[in-house]
Parts: sequence; structure tokens; C-alpha cells
Amino acid sequence: MSDALSRSRTAEPALDDAEARPVDVAPDAAVGPDAATGPDAGPVRRRRRRISPLVLFLQVAVAVAFVGGWELLSRIDVLDPFFFSSPSAVAERVWTWLTTGEIYDDLLITLQEAFYGLVIGAVLGLVVGFALARMRLLAAVLDPYVKALNAIPRVVLAPIFLLWFGLGIWSKVAFAVTLVFFIVFFNTYQGVREVDRVLVDNSRMLGASESQLIRHVFLPSALSWIFSSLHVSVGFAIVGAVVGEYLGSASGIGYVIAQAEGTFDTTGVFAGIVVLSVFVIVVDLLVNRVERHLLRWRPEPSHAEVV
Amino acid sequence: MVDAPYAIELTGMVKRFPTSDGGVYTAVSGIDLAVPAGRFVSVVGPTGCGKSTLLNAAAGLAPPSEGSVRIFGEPLEGLNKRASYMFQQDALLPWRTVLDNVTLGPRMKGVGRAEREQRGREWLERVGLGPFAGAYPHQLSGGMRRRVAVAQSWIVDPDFIFMDEPFSALDVQTRQLMEDQLLRLWTGSGKTVVFVTHDLDEAISLADEVVLLSAGPASRIVGTYPIDLPRPRDLMDIRTTPAFQDLYRAIWSDLRSEVMKSYERRALAVSNG
Repeated sequence: MSDALSRSRTAEPALDDAEARPVDVAPDAAVGPDAATGPDAGPVRRRRRRISPLVLFLQVAVAVAFVGGWELLSRIDVLDPFFFSSPSAVAERVWTWLTTGEIYDDLLITLQEAFYGLVIGAVLGLVVGFALARMRLLAAVLDPYVKALNAIPRVVLAPIFLLWFGLGIWSKVAFAVTLVFFIVFFNTYQGVREVDRVLVDNSRMLGASESQLIRHVFLPSALSWIFSSLHVSVGFAIVGAVVGEYLGSASGIGYVIAQAEGTFDTTGVFAGIVVLSVFVIVVDLLVNRVERHLLRWRPEPSHAEVV
Repeated sequence: MVDAPYAIELTGMVKRFPTSDGGVYTAVSGIDLAVPAGRFVSVVGPTGCGKSTLLNAAAGLAPPSEGSVRIFGEPLEGLNKRASYMFQQDALLPWRTVLDNVTLGPRMKGVGRAEREQRGREWLERVGLGPFAGAYPHQLSGGMRRRVAVAQSWIVDPDFIFMDEPFSALDVQTRQLMEDQLLRLWTGSGKTVVFVTHDLDEAISLADEVVLLSAGPASRIVGTYPIDLPRPRDLMDIRTTPAFQDLYRAIWSDLRSEVMKSYERRALAVSNG
């Protein structure tokens, strides 16, 4: 990823190649004034992704086979329940957590850590990405350091963060920040650098100042890159929070899992994992919503994915 | 009137670009061109002859390596603020609606929302896109996007309109409609238009004057041909008139030899490469 930094573009647009460049504007057949102004010529299409019944059926079948198989194997003692627990036991545990409400505090803590980590990491990534993309010298100077920092396996930072920020949420936030920052940073950097030259020239000809260029051209362009990586960022923020908790904390889902592990409570570990996955899926759906709203200007892929 | 400065005056213009392999490419050289105010000038020439380079110099987007650019007698520094530029490629902001794109210029200049939206809607009506104010560019066809670009460049009421093969990606019918519309807008507007195209038909039927560039590299001006066809012009019929065909033949014979040279150079470059 980080070789984006070293790949400084050779000069400016090398030649007067406007004519040599292939133009991929789709020629439109019947767009006279009439075709355009007709009220029902509205090209505004909304495509909803639908899951075909067959796919849905097979998806459910996979789940049933997996869970059923697991349950069966542990009932007939092929899988030792001590090491593998069983879906029914896990479900029961999750149910207890939910009904007694003891899990909510932990969930909330994890959510909080991930959220702060996401926001702080994204803002830092955005600012630094912008700065480096607009200042070539700075980018060239910092390139090796960015690479080096990104190369650090984050887990080794845990002890340091625990020392610096204590056992509370901020050491986990810091942890999540180190993960989110680089994703957002690289995407911002790329997004700003790869803004279509023509968009910039056109806006400048229309009178845009440097700050207007940033607001109307660079930022939206970078945002589209950042949002396409939002799923990854959110996932990493949660991973950062949970791993941080796992390594040392007094609350959070990661802590719950670590505690269960410490008492050889396999059911607790699995229940924690289940809660965590459901939680991530819900957050991911929310991100989908946000993304769809913010990137509504984008053409939808012409072939809707099946899933 | 005799001393009135030209709207655009390029003198001894040379433009060089660094190439990716460390060399230098001379796109145009020794260009002297004077365009009086209110004139519609077409620039034609073989592919890759630096037509856009002339536009970019006059627009201030890419200052010449040598020579001078004067706009109404004043040396051009920085961008040409009195000009609009219609690019060959799509230059609409994909994340802005059609209305927001059309009103981009006024917005940059600090015109209030109510006023600029009213002006924007007027322009959209004028180019026949009234119902599409709230659509995004990707939802429009290529021809419709071009019309948005026309509205976008005219709404700021510039003294110059620079157009770089603006309709080259359109099919023939759409193209003719767009040319018609352009002429109607331009007639009586007093704006100076420089229209780059590789299509001689288009160049002659629109312009007051056709400037022919030689094959690159180091293109120069082969000749300028006044087009004295009467206005207003009917673009459907004008191409079949004898006067048009005489002009076409005269310019084409010069253009053809440049195109041939351009092909030969390319073939040479390919066989050497």
C-alpha cells in the first residue's frame, strides 16, 4: 500500500495528449432535446439488490448444517463439550447474558472504544493524508517513516499503550487508532493524488480558490475513497478495541472472552465470539446505510452482485 | 478601432514538455496568432498537433515556454479569469447534482444561493435540461452531460469560451443539435470563441476563421482561412452549399498533407520503437 508514497508522478501531464487519450464517454443514441425533456425520460434509476430465494435457501442450509452438525457431534461425544462446547449451551449463555443484561455494559464499552478509535484515527488519517498529498516534499521525507510505522505489528504496542494510557478505555482507543489511521491515511492520500486533473482545471477555470478546490473537489474525491474503505476501518476499529481488551482490561467483550478463557469456559468464549460477530454485522449494516447515503452520486455497478 | 487590441494575441509561442524518459517534447513552436474580439475561431490539425496546447496557453492553464500571451493587450499572468473552458473529457463533479454543477462558477465567485440557483435553472431550461436539476451526472447520457457543461461555462458570462473538441464523443445527430445550440448562444453574445476540433466540417460550419496547425511535433500554423459564409447559418444545409465545399476543398488539401505527415511520423516512431 505504502508504495503509493514513493510512486511520485513523473512530471505533470507529460504531453499534450488530450487527443491521444481514448474517450470513454458512451455515445448516446437518441438524445435530442425532446428525448431529454420528456418527463418519463427520467434516467434516475434506483436498483435494489435482491437476494434470490435459492441463494437465501442455501445460505440458511449452510447455517443449519453447520450448527446442527456441531450440536450433533458434541451430543454423541465425538466433539468433547469441554473443548468445543455446543450450540445449545452457547445459545443458552448468550440468552442469559442478554436477559440479565450483564453483557450490555461490556458491549457499550467496546462500542465506545471502537467509536473513539474510528473517529480519532479517521480524522488524523484525513488530515495527514491531505497534508502529504498536497506537499510533495513532506511526503518524500516522511515516506520511509510511514512505511516503518505501518510495518509494526500492532500487538507489540499493547504493553506500551497500557503503560501510557492505563487499563481504561484509552489504551484500547489508541490501539484502534493505530489500525484505522493507516487505512484512512492511505486512502486519503490516494484519493487526493488521483483526483482527475480535468476536474481540478475546470473548477479553477470557473474561479475556484485553493480552499474551494479542497472543499469541492479534493475532499469529496478523497471521501469516496475513504468511504469505500469504511467497512475495513470499522472492522479494524472493533478489532483494535477487542484485542486491546483481551490483552489487559477490566471490561469489554474482549475482557469477557479473556475471562472465560482463563477459566476454561469454552461456552463463554464461543458466546463472546457470537455476540461480537452479531455486533459487527449490525454495525456493518449501519455503515452500509451511511455509505449509500453519502455516495449516492455514484453510479451503481451495472451488474448487481448476487449477495 | 484600428488600435483596439486583439482579444487574444499569441506571439512567438513555443511550448515544450518534459517526456517521461527524461527528454523534451516540443509541442508547438513559433505560433503567432491574433484573434479579434467577438470572433469565432476554429483550430484544426492532425491528431497530436498541439491544438489543446494553444487553448491551455490562452486559458493560462499551461503558460508557454517561450513567447507571450496577451489578452486584450495585457500580458496574461496566471489563469485567464475572463474565460470559460469546455474540456474534451467530462469535467462535471460527479458528487454534485446537475444544478450544483451548473452553478459552480457563480458559487465560487460568492453569488448567493437563491440567485445562483435561479440563474442555474434558467440555464438548464435553456439547454433543455430543466427536469434534471436534481440528477447526478452519471444518471445522464453523454449528450446531456455535454449540455450541462455548456450551461456551466456560459453561466459565468465569460468574454472567452475555449472549447476543446467538446462534441467529439457524441454521435452525429446529437452533435449537430449541440452545434446548432452553440451557434444560437454565441450569435450576438459578443464572446470570443476558440473551438478546437479535428473535424474540418465542424470547423468550417461554425467559425469565422479556421486556423490550420501542422503535424506535430513542433507544430506551427500552416494557414488561417477566413470563412465568409453568411450568418445566421443553417447547419443542416450549409454543408451542401458550393461556397462551403470550395472552402472545404481548399483547406482539406492543406490539412491532408499534414495528416499524411503525421501518419508517416507515427509509423516511423512505431518502427523505431
